[in-house]
Amino acid sequence: MTATLETTVPSTVDTAVELSGVRKVFGHGNSAVVALDGVDLRVKPGEFVCLLGASGCGKSTLLNIVAGLDAATSGELQLNTSRPAVMFQEPALMPWLTAARNVELALRFAGVGRLARKRRALDLLELVRLGDVADKRPHELSGGMRQRVALARALASTTVSPDGAPALLLMDEPFAALDAITRDVLQSELLRVWETTNTAIIFVTHDVREAVRLGQRVVLLSSRPGRVVREWDVTDSSTEVLDEINTHLREVISGHAS
Amino acid sequence: MATPPDTLDKVGAGLDALDVPVEAHRPPVWRRFLKTGVPPIIAFALLLGVWQALWASAVLPEFQLPAPINVWDELVRSISTGEAFGILWTSLHRAVLGFLAAVVIATPLGLLIAKVRVVRAAIGSLLTGLQSLPSVAWVPAAILWFGVTPSTIYFVVLMGSVPSIANGLVAGIDQIPPLLPRVGRALGAGRLASARHILLPAALPGYLAGLKQGWAFSWRSLMAAEIIATSPQLGVGLGQYLHNGSSLNDINMVIAAIFLILLVGIGIELLLFRPLERAVLRARGLTGAL
Repeated sequence: MTATLETTVPSTVDTAVELSGVRKVFGHGNSAVVALDGVDLRVKPGEFVCLLGASGCGKSTLLNIVAGLDAATSGELQLNTSRPAVMFQEPALMPWLTAARNVELALRFAGVGRLARKRRALDLLELVRLGDVADKRPHELSGGMRQRVALARALASTTVSPDGAPALLLMDEPFAALDAITRDVLQSELLRVWETTNTAIIFVTHDVREAVRLGQRVVLLSSRPGRVVREWDVTDSSTEVLDEINTHLREVISGHAS
Repeated sequence: MATPPDTLDKVGAGLDALDVPVEAHRPPVWRRFLKTGVPPIIAFALLLGVWQALWASAVLPEFQLPAPINVWDELVRSISTGEAFGILWTSLHRAVLGFLAAVVIATPLGLLIAKVRVVRAAIGSLLTGLQSLPSVAWVPAAILWFGVTPSTIYFVVLMGSVPSIANGLVAGIDQIPPLLPRVGRALGAGRLASARHILLPAALPGYLAGLKQGWAFSWRSLMAAEIIATSPQLGVGLGQYLHNGSSLNDINMVIAAIFLILLVGIGIELLLFRPLERAVLRARGLTGAL
């Protein structure tokens, strides 16, 4: 295992994340499953990349490796960012803390002082338009609001780096459990937040529309083992790209029939 | 191709307004009292009525079933002479000290069992087994080890309450959704910070249930120990008072002692554990049982 964690080398700031030949095998011997097989991926600071793939393509595994929650079997990971923040499909807020306290918890783990914590948490909640409900507990908020608190918390943990290293946000299908209208609103919310915070985002999804709408770049992964199949630049997205990506995704999936 | 952003913002604001759960209106104090305070009072009055009727029918001789008024007189006598306060103080301070010591021992023990696999395999089931062993069973051994001293009493109290508290904490930790500690790790929490800010608060409902049971067990064990281990050196606690009543064939004293023992149990539950539990559960939106 050669995963390394390096922070801020100013000369290499044109890359926030670099994965080269990352391989991940679960289990041993005959029952071993290759989840990722030689994945190369580069993300620039402030770039919005969507990882697209069907189930079993190892997108979550990839995200966990970047987040440091899991280690690659082989290959190299280079991070030129502050501590990456993760957002999951569930908001996973601490049910006993208010919205503001949940955000503060992230700052506390990052070693921010009490007063600065309070101010920063409120700022971040304002950023996701939840300043009014800072004192509410998760069970008093709707699903979409909870996910926005989770976004504020994630931002809190990645944007506090003292040396000004670029921020990195990892999102694992964060809107998949929401209803269509809420998802639509949150997608535009996320784009707004991304534009104002200049955070690099790796966004995992299995929804082609979502990937094209949000990302600057869409990376299609194959399933079992996960490999990078193709990449598309989708900054000026058109319906043709959407159809093209859809066709490729279907090919990848139908390859597993029989 | 998408909807203009400011329209979506309005939609978002509308969603927020629609989505926020409506807070239930709390009924006024007198109505809550009517609902929760009156039924137990009626039940108690009925019990007294049945008792009085049984006594009046004289199915049992007076030395077995006293009149309620005689027990009341005994209670009034012991309270007016100040005897009751001394007795209550002796027992209560022992129970509280024993319980606090049990909390101090059981909390790290529970954490160890919950988080260290070897420890759980080694003593996890032993601890559960100890819970089903009546702590009175320790009294004879404790008397042989420590003599009839306060140590005997504290030992029995600890053996009664430590397993409950530790088991409650283990159950509380086992029921934490695995995503919460993962989030903690993703946010950069170390083991200690994670235990303090995530594991312990997340396990609080289970821990509290364990504390409640631990208190009940320490109070019970204390009574058992006091009834069996009596000596002038130990002073008069509720257990000795009960024991004395029995030795004197004074049924009024025996029933008065039982009443006092019950009173302490119910009092601590109502004044301490019930409000605590309520506050903890309400903060998490778990109001179903309240």
